[in-house]
Amino acid sequence: MSTNLTTLSRSRSIPRQGGAGLARLGVAVAVGGVMLAMVSLINGLIAGSEVAAGNDAAVPAMLAWGFGVATAAFATAKLGVAVVLWGIVGRVRARVEAMSEALPRLVTPSREDAAASSGVIRTPYGAATVSSEPPPELLIHRASRLLWAPMIAMGVMAVYGGLVLSVVQSSSMASDAVAGRALGAWVQGVQFLGEGLLLGGISFLLGTILASLRGGGADVQARLGRAVHTLRMPITAKLFIGLMALGMMVEMAQFGLYAYASTVAADPSFAALSAWLGPLREFGLGLLLSGIVLALATIARVLGFQFHRVTGLIDRAPHSNEVKS
Amino acid sequence: MTRAPAPRNDYAVSVSGSAPGPNVPQRVGRALWLPMLAMAIMAFPIGLALGVVRAGMIGSGADAQLVAATGNFGTAAMFVGFASVFAAISFAIARILGVFRTGGGAVQEAAGTAVQTLRMPSTAKAFLALMMMGMMALVAAVIGHVIVGIGLASGDLALAIGEQWAIWLEGVRRAGLATYLLAISLGLATIVVVLRFQTVRLRELPAETAG
Repeated sequence: MSTNLTTLSRSRSIPRQGGAGLARLGVAVAVGGVMLAMVSLINGLIAGSEVAAGNDAAVPAMLAWGFGVATAAFATAKLGVAVVLWGIVGRVRARVEAMSEALPRLVTPSREDAAASSGVIRTPYGAATVSSEPPPELLIHRASRLLWAPMIAMGVMAVYGGLVLSVVQSSSMASDAVAGRALGAWVQGVQFLGEGLLLGGISFLLGTILASLRGGGADVQARLGRAVHTLRMPITAKLFIGLMALGMMVEMAQFGLYAYASTVAADPSFAALSAWLGPLREFGLGLLLSGIVLALATIARVLGFQFHRVTGLIDRAPHSNEVKS
Repeated sequence: MTRAPAPRNDYAVSVSGSAPGPNVPQRVGRALWLPMLAMAIMAFPIGLALGVVRAGMIGSGADAQLVAATGNFGTAAMFVGFASVFAAISFAIARILGVFRTGGGAVQEAAGTAVQTLRMPSTAKAFLALMMMGMMALVAAVIGHVIVGIGLASGDLALAIGEQWAIWLEGVRRAGLATYLLAISLGLATIVVVLRFQTVRLRELPAETAG
């Protein structure tokens, strides 16, 4: 019972019934991101045409604010994705509650002795632990629950702060090219740190979904008085954590290096430095996005395991493909 | 004894006697998410390495045409990575939807009720269409960067024309990435729809199994 209360108190901040509203809001925010990207596209088409016509003077200023708007567009679309994920967290909770209500009337009388059950079993979805009580929450799940909102908030602030800087930069390009380059370095460093924080926040939201699936699934089994089967952390989840940490470190490093680059904006080495810092910041985002793919793959595996377990609880026949090890 | 389900007004469903398998996009998602991720993980370091090579060329005062060509090749490699990783995310979402479809059906089948499966929601159709649009924009930009890079390296393309095309292609890339992110938000919104349906359906099962 104490576990149930703990789980319910954990979920207090989670939207229970607003999943559909949050999904619509998230999609609308993402549409806003696409519209900003279209502004950046039109700006790019005009800037390219100016280069072709030989009117190069205005192009650096156009590219400066165009970069700021494009990065803000991606951040806005990612914020939309995060809002939809928040809706999913709430829906997962509601699904657990529906299972808790429905399963006692669907599950066949117990042949399992929950109190005597412990150990590790092999399932089609990987190794799972068997216990009489729900397992404690993992550290990464606690961290995910705590950190997703602050990271997304900081990310949005950094990207939009960088957008303001890019407008200031575009107005200073004509009068002072060196100051414009230095500001440009700050814009890129700050905005891509923000993008990294946003993707980190999305990663933690996916971690929160995994935490809700794990905790909710265990609670439902415990309430039924059955042995609690919990999937062990799959390799995809371990790689997800590693890639997310590595990606965040790269984004923090690129921020520091761009801060340094802003101090050598008048130096010939600035161009060479900028030439590899651009790919570095994108490499960091690539690592974070690869981690997100693995988090989604982990969610698919955990869901498959849960359906397997629920079907097993309802079915009369024991699962022949589960082997105790 | 199974009681026949009442026709639904809240969700468009198909009814069957057994759990359905994954549909075509879900099967494709299950097969392709990992190869796409592998391609992305290979492309990102190549893009970074080409950036480092380009920085070295700038430092050593290499020919401006070659520097610009290397920049285009580096961008192309990096965006092969982004196109692949966004495809992997989309396929992973399709895979999750496939698990919901087959797993939800299996639970209903095990309970001995008619198996109701949600028909493809409009968000899922928009997800597929926008995903393809985003992918086409990114692939077109990558091909454009490679053509511009080859033109610059061979001297067939003037530096100013190469710069003009690079700026245009950058705009296309940005629009493609934002479209992909919108597609992903729609794919995730489909998961919300499926979760809502399954929550409602789970609460109906005990009444249908009661003799």
